[in-house]
Amino acid sequence: METKRFAPMASPAGLSTGIGWRHPHYAHVLESRPALDFLEVHSENFFGQGGAALAVLQQARQTYPISLHGVGLALGSVAGVDPWHLDQLSQLVERIEPVRVSDHASFARGQVNGLDLHAADLLPVAFHRRSLDVLCANVQQVQDRLKRVLLVENLSAYVSFNNSDMDETDFLGELASRTGCGLLVDVNNIYVNALNARMAGSTADPVRACLEWLERLPPHAVAELHVAGHKDCGDIVIDDHGSRVCEQVWQIYQHALTLFGGVPQSLATLVEWDTDIPPLQVLLDEAARARAFQAHAEEVHA
Amino acid sequence: MKRDDFPEQQALLQAVLGAGDASALLQWLPQGQAARRLSERGLLAYRANGHALAERALAAAYPVLFQFMGEENFAMLARHFWSAHPPSLGDMACWGEELAGFIDAAPQLADEPCLGDVARLEWLMHAAATAADAEIDLASFALLASGDEAPVTLALGAGVALLASAHPVVSIVNAHLVGQPSLQEAGQRLAAGCAEHALIWRQGFKPCVRLSSAAEHKLIEALLAGQALAEALDLADSLSDKGTGFDFNTWLAEAVQTGLVCGARPCQ
Repeated sequence: METKRFAPMASPAGLSTGIGWRHPHYAHVLESRPALDFLEVHSENFFGQGGAALAVLQQARQTYPISLHGVGLALGSVAGVDPWHLDQLSQLVERIEPVRVSDHASFARGQVNGLDLHAADLLPVAFHRRSLDVLCANVQQVQDRLKRVLLVENLSAYVSFNNSDMDETDFLGELASRTGCGLLVDVNNIYVNALNARMAGSTADPVRACLEWLERLPPHAVAELHVAGHKDCGDIVIDDHGSRVCEQVWQIYQHALTLFGGVPQSLATLVEWDTDIPPLQVLLDEAARARAFQAHAEEVHA
Repeated sequence: MKRDDFPEQQALLQAVLGAGDASALLQWLPQGQAARRLSERGLLAYRANGHALAERALAAAYPVLFQFMGEENFAMLARHFWSAHPPSLGDMACWGEELAGFIDAAPQLADEPCLGDVARLEWLMHAAATAADAEIDLASFALLASGDEAPVTLALGAGVALLASAHPVVSIVNAHLVGQPSLQEAGQRLAAGCAEHALIWRQGFKPCVRLSSAAEHKLIEALLAGQALAEALDLADSLSDKGTGFDFNTWLAEAVQTGLVCGARPCQ
């Protein structure tokens, strides 16, 4: 598929910036063609065999590289990857030829009362060896089927398990080294987790905790960063993707750029916004802010 | 790797879906009052997210039911349905087909016996929205006049489906979606106990429904089953108004124009 590029590419070389492209902005983006390096969509929203949504995505693909970000593969499920889901994703990948394919280090599938169910959520996995084995096997299966590298994203988790005996970053680093998958680091997710850890009394300085979390990752494995907003409910912080990126997350993002932006491979940044979706210009402003931080980081690397 | 090796996954899945004893999860949560409190709050967040997702997914698939029942009642229905029929696939657009049967069996909704069929009709329209595209092939219609003895059938458009209902479901759905007929007229048909045959298909990218005659219903039913056009027309003729037969040529012209039929092909 031929890709018509737009000018100018405003991100520094090796760095790219995109936005989550959701239904309220379908028409506006196609009409105004803002200067973005890619559009991200949720894979599952385009699993249908035809119809308007798929046609709109194929139209967008004529102008923008598309990043297919999944929320339903449930890669950490001991029940395995659903063959139906993998079939749908594989067809979509063939149709769209995306620039990246990603999903989460989460589980959702299992058997309850004799039925195979899917919780339709990103449920956390325990960080232990057996869990890592399951995740590796499932990621490998997806990569083998799609014949491409999959990016796997860290979660914002609202429950943790007492049988975890690995650090999350060791868990993700080993996942990448064993399967060759890339890591998608959601900066907002680690900050949400750190804020909740502070409520649970396990950290005093959430930003510091996030910076150290990033430093424990293998830099060469990180291929994409996500930034988004979150909601403080008082007794818990929820990763709702419903507001601007806060200053602390931008601060952590800058550190991520310093750590991961100088390695030879490309590093993408996505601005996510999934609830209470604002006018397109707000997302473009957030993307511009990410690019400004990228330009600064490039100067530092140079 | 056996599922039994991951009791924490099983416990969290059951707790999130509200299936079984949530206390099974407690043994896998961190110790300490603050950590435990946060985990319990986190579990509530997952459950709330599931309910919100259920409401959004069903409202998208069943916009008429949503209007008919009102936001509050529909949200309650969605939450009950989520507990009774949790998703099995990771694509929420595929979730909700069993809602019609769930409504039929709900004693609270027994006063509105048409709702089950309204749901059935809306699900067929929901499915039509993402059905495989069907390209019109005008040249293929030459098969109908070829005189070849090999049986020929019609290629139907995207999302074609049928529903025979004892209730005026086409009137109810179209009154809510397109205002034709009016809500008042649909209500009158409902009060009169009118039955309707619904024909669902996609015109361009827009899922549509219209009233269908018994003869047309039989014709399309046979075509959907892969029967030859000649056999399908015999069945339709048997149900058409006495003496007139089924006016195939007039029907075909309109069917092609509206995307209901997109070509002719040899029977397989």
